Amino acid sequence: MASGDYYAVLGVARDASDAEIKKAYRKEALKWHPDKNPDNKEEAEKNFKAVAEAYEVLSSPDKRAMYDRGGKDALNGGGGYSHADFGDINSAFNIFEQFFG
Amino acid sequence: MSPSPEEKSYAVGIDLGTTYSCVGVYKDGEVQIIANDQGNRTTLSYVAWTEQERLLGDAAKNQVASNPTNTVFDAKRLIGRRFDDPIVQADLKLWPFKVVSDGSKDDKPLIEVFYQGVEKRFHPEEISSMILTKMKQTGEAYLGHRVREAVITVPAYFNDAQRQATKDAGEIAGLRVLRIVNEPTAAAIAYGLDKSDKSGVAEKETHILVFDMGGGTFDVSVLAIQDSVFEVKATAGDPHLGGEDFDNRILSHCIADFRRKHQSDPTRNQRALRRLRTQCERAKRLLSTQTSVTIEVDSLHEGNDFSIRLSRAKFEELCIDYFKKAMEPVEQCLKDSNLPQKAITDIVMVGGSTRIPKVQELIKAFFNGKELCKSINPDEAVAYGAAVQAAIVSGQGSEDVQNMLLLDVAPLSLGIETAGGMMQVLIERNSTVPTSKSQDFTTFEDYQDHVDISVYEGERAMVKDNNFLGKFTLKDIPKSLRGVPKIQVTFTIDTNGILQVRAEDAKSQKRSEIQIANEKGRLTQNDIQKMLQEAEKYKGEDEISKGDMLAKEELKVYMQRFEKGIQDLDDTKLQREDRERLEGKLADAYKWLENDGLKAGKPEFDGKQKELQAVMNTVMLKINRSQTEFWDQQVVHHEGEKTIDKGGFILHCGVDIRDLIEDPQ
Repeated sequence: MASGDYYAVLGVARDASDAEIKKAYRKEALKWHPDKNPDNKEEAEKNFKAVAEAYEVLSSPDKRAMYDRGGKDALNGGGGYSHADFGDINSAFNIFEQFFG
Repeated sequence: MSPSPEEKSYAVGIDLGTTYSCVGVYKDGEVQIIANDQGNRTTLSYVAWTEQERLLGDAAKNQVASNPTNTVFDAKRLIGRRFDDPIVQADLKLWPFKVVSDGSKDDKPLIEVFYQGVEKRFHPEEISSMILTKMKQTGEAYLGHRVREAVITVPAYFNDAQRQATKDAGEIAGLRVLRIVNEPTAAAIAYGLDKSDKSGVAEKETHILVFDMGGGTFDVSVLAIQDSVFEVKATAGDPHLGGEDFDNRILSHCIADFRRKHQSDPTRNQRALRRLRTQCERAKRLLSTQTSVTIEVDSLHEGNDFSIRLSRAKFEELCIDYFKKAMEPVEQCLKDSNLPQKAITDIVMVGGSTRIPKVQELIKAFFNGKELCKSINPDEAVAYGAAVQAAIVSGQGSEDVQNMLLLDVAPLSLGIETAGGMMQVLIERNSTVPTSKSQDFTTFEDYQDHVDISVYEGERAMVKDNNFLGKFTLKDIPKSLRGVPKIQVTFTIDTNGILQVRAEDAKSQKRSEIQIANEKGRLTQNDIQKMLQEAEKYKGEDEISKGDMLAKEELKVYMQRFEKGIQDLDDTKLQREDRERLEGKLADAYKWLENDGLKAGKPEFDGKQKELQAVMNTVMLKINRSQTEFWDQQVVHHEGEKTIDKGGFILHCGVDIRDLIEDPQ
């Protein structure tokens, strides 16, 4: 399974509609949920998480727009994570300023 | 019962409720909710210790008024909490049983009871495990097979510690916990199956809101359902709001009234409180169907009777702040799910407290008068859904069940403490589980060689306002200037909603991780093992005391038969002195039963019965003439008891008195 591009993870075109994205997500989730893969739990869980991450970004108009502009880096460095306070292009930088006390 | 070999063990679904529990199993293509030995489809979540034995479920509640300090309930309100938790401290004042701290740094609460004259202390997990044991036995009695695996439900808003503790309780009960499932999600499955039965599988996407208000907890979830995929969009709630809070309000109202009328305070009289509380709960239930009730307790306290009339309007006034508070999570949940109000196609009401008309009225008003869905049983829906999930996870379900998928979410945001006591969220609330999220952090000082990572859950910006879960240290970071090291922190939530945290230094590849569960008052594996052994011991004790009870009952039955036997023999057959001798023996036996019988065991009961039999046999030997008649009478008069078809009766110790007498023919 492709893990780089969110559109590829869900198997949809870049101009896919919300409904298409949702449908693709359900299909992939059903395919990779650990419950449905008792003999292949680890790989399934990894893939499921990738699918869920892709859907989390592509199902949100804001995050999807950000991702389309700047890829994953625009969504603060790694993962589909985004926080309201760090939701701009500087987020990657800001996160690095989070220090442990 | 289908005895095919591959069905040796079943996986059941258990709704472990604050006040009631319910067990279901998916079998032969459908869910069966299983009735307990009393014939009830829900079992009271009560455990009691008497002088002789431990009682579980309904039997425990039945004796609560006479044994309030040793009757334990509400374990779900304690589980996974610290003793100094303000919620625990507030509840303490209302419980007739004693709760103490274990004195450790984790400050775990322990429940203290007296059993067989000895003080015993139990963790809330152990109390819950006893209730789970009862549910397990209920399942086994119905299935005729061992039950080894279970899906157990928890309120969606339960935090990590509470989930872990519930899982531990399952283990102590000897169950492999296949999954911890959120209660509203389980209820949604019940609703979804109910719907798809009627209208075919829903192809169009529907959104439902589950409003789950039970005895002690309150949850709201919004789900999207399509093509047998159940996706939880958002969840919110209050882990401490439910029917018992309403009972307490009525109780306080009654106590105030009693004080005013009688100038005396019953609050220290546990027996009085328990009796009054039972009536308050009854009144609350009745007020769902009638507009006023009378609460009455004879000789409640210091010889004073108590009676008060309570109208539905007054009840609503007493609890209105609770009812209104319940609307906040509804609003929150809708907001979190990014759905407009009108997108909700059905509002599913679950849990006993949703029978309260005012609660229904408020939620209906919130949705502009939309009709509520009441087609599923509010008391059984959660166990129903849990049973389906048990079939899905264990692979025992039929094809339509195997095609179902449940996508649940984490109810609370999870993150770590960063400089200045700020909460840095890694996993946002309502993220679909399982999930992993990583983020990079760095050091605050030059040449810092370790970092402490403190993990929290909650929605507030400062960690001090959130719930602390655990702490660990990543050591031996290669020395460098501040801001240079790259430390990757990864949060992983499994399908049970349970969290694991890992930290890794990118350069040295040094790793450190915790299963949060091992911190914060969770039981260690050692504790669980100990409790398992303890539980096994109880099982033995239960069985012994079951044997004792049985022997006692048999003795009682024999004594009744003995009494009837004397009455039925007229003076022509039974000489006066023999009658007196028999009656004397019987009176002695009754007296013995009342006194020594309280602490006697099976050998004593059996011995007593043999003693009576011996006297009876001697007397019977003297009456040769009319034996045949006597046999017939015994048969006629003791219908339903063990009789021999030719007449006579079997004595329970195995002595047939006919053996002692010559054949009357």
